[in-house]
Amino acid sequence: LPRLLLPAAAPSGCFCNSNWALVRKPVAAATAAAYSSSSTAPADAPAGPPVSVTVIDKSGKEHQVSGQSGENLLRLLQRYELPVEGACEASLACCTCHVYVDAPDSADLSSVTEAEEDMLDMAPFLRENSRLSCQIVLAAGLDGMRVTLPQATRNFYVDGHVPKPH
Amino acid sequence: ATTPLDPRVLDAMLPYCTGLFGNPHSRSHAYGWETETAVEKARAQVAQLIGADPKEIVFTSGATESNNIAIKGVARFYKSRKRHLITSQTEHKCVLDSCRALESEGFEVTYLPVKPSGLLDLASLESAIRPDTALVSVMTVNNEIGVRQPVEKIGALCRSRGVFFHTDAAQAVGKMPIDVNAACIDLMSISGHKLYGPKGVGAIYVRRRPRVRLEPLQSGGGQERGMRSGTVPSFLAVGLGAACQLAGQEMAFDAERVDRLSQRLIDRIVSQLSHVVVNGDRDSCYPGCVNLSFACVEGESLLMALKDVALSSGSACTSASLEPSYVLRAIGADEDLAHSSIRFGIGRFTTEAEVDYTVDLCVRQVRRLRELSPLWEMVQEGVDLKSIQWTQH
Repeated sequence: LPRLLLPAAAPSGCFCNSNWALVRKPVAAATAAAYSSSSTAPADAPAGPPVSVTVIDKSGKEHQVSGQSGENLLRLLQRYELPVEGACEASLACCTCHVYVDAPDSADLSSVTEAEEDMLDMAPFLRENSRLSCQIVLAAGLDGMRVTLPQATRNFYVDGHVPKPH
Repeated sequence: ATTPLDPRVLDAMLPYCTGLFGNPHSRSHAYGWETETAVEKARAQVAQLIGADPKEIVFTSGATESNNIAIKGVARFYKSRKRHLITSQTEHKCVLDSCRALESEGFEVTYLPVKPSGLLDLASLESAIRPDTALVSVMTVNNEIGVRQPVEKIGALCRSRGVFFHTDAAQAVGKMPIDVNAACIDLMSISGHKLYGPKGVGAIYVRRRPRVRLEPLQSGGGQERGMRSGTVPSFLAVGLGAACQLAGQEMAFDAERVDRLSQRLIDRIVSQLSHVVVNGDRDSCYPGCVNLSFACVEGESLLMALKDVALSSGSACTSASLEPSYVLRAIGADEDLAHSSIRFGIGRFTTEAEVDYTVDLCVRQVRRLRELSPLWEMVQEGVDLKSIQWTQH
């Protein structure tokens, strides 16, 4: 299994002291291939009723995506190759997967933790309905959810470049 | 207006002006790490003085910037749902000007009047709060008349109505105990040079639980939790931290001493001169800020006569303007009295000899100017000045 060096918590701590932690990334070989291009659900994604999500990109165009209950929203969006960044690979250490959700107070949406709020603080163009998509787990009650991508992330690729999922 | 640097604050700052010059945001080398450690220590020192968590402190260039960030930042973030702000008529100019700027952006602002004591009427605040009120901003201690607002009660009221409460505590922090949790304060402005720290630095406290969000005024690399981009001036931050730590240490001693000197000043002047008005509530106040009006004496003449003492009529930021102070007008002071008001500031380094010198000089000069004043002559004869019909020439 690949072992990756990831910062335990991005904003504080220096390069060389013990804030770096070894994190074992739980990726099955089949899934690694699945994440790269297919829009079918990966082999190890949790099975559940389908959940459809409408994603509005920053030009206003709508995309329909369909995932499964229990699936991570960020991974779903990336499966469909939508231009969503995920620099820290869903480890709650950045704010690049920032999205706006249409019903932030929905009971089916997992409530925001303080750690997520801390990361969201640093996202540009923050709004009251901002969330980190890597912290949203699809549920049946979220079927029909509308998610909007913000006009930019904390990365400054002003030419429009969106880094591919790692 | 300001305070001198406490020598101990200068001691703490100097190394960060010379050898320890690294950018605290540089993550990859020792110059950065050592200054980052110092800045984080300063942050904790500021937090401790006000009962906050270090993560809730953002360094700024001073209380003016902090006030701008609090008012404009909160209003703009919540603008889709909330379009109303409440403040008082006696706030510092940067608060009032920020509110006026927001009015031109389409927000509505209620400027609450104050009682003749200078204190806010809580009932008027309660009735002013609307469902679309984003923020209430009321300063803790007024910079012209020294009045201390009942921030604990204001905070409790705002919390119960779900409205954020911001207080400009520039004149209060370090001089009296403040606890942001006990007082339900959501945002607070702090000024370095009001508590024997350096000029050019301040801080804003932004509550994390429940989270207060704001739209940053300054765009950039996202420093200070995204709220205030720009390299934190490490030596200034260290100075602010040291000043806060010292203020916590010295608070009880300073408070007793300043109170004693303040009483001495007022008692000696009032016992030797008649027709002196003490502006602002004397029970709920910071004793180190005394504002006196001398009837029938022209204010500028008195200030010029008292040139060798650093005094002001109105605050430093209004001292160049020609109209009398809006704060004095808000407490209902007569325009003539407002013109002849003087603010005396007493602090950690003020000596008893300086207070006595000021009292003697002030009494002498007021008597001299009153001798020259035809209005004074009329008052002595028992004429009611308000009954006079003045003619235009």
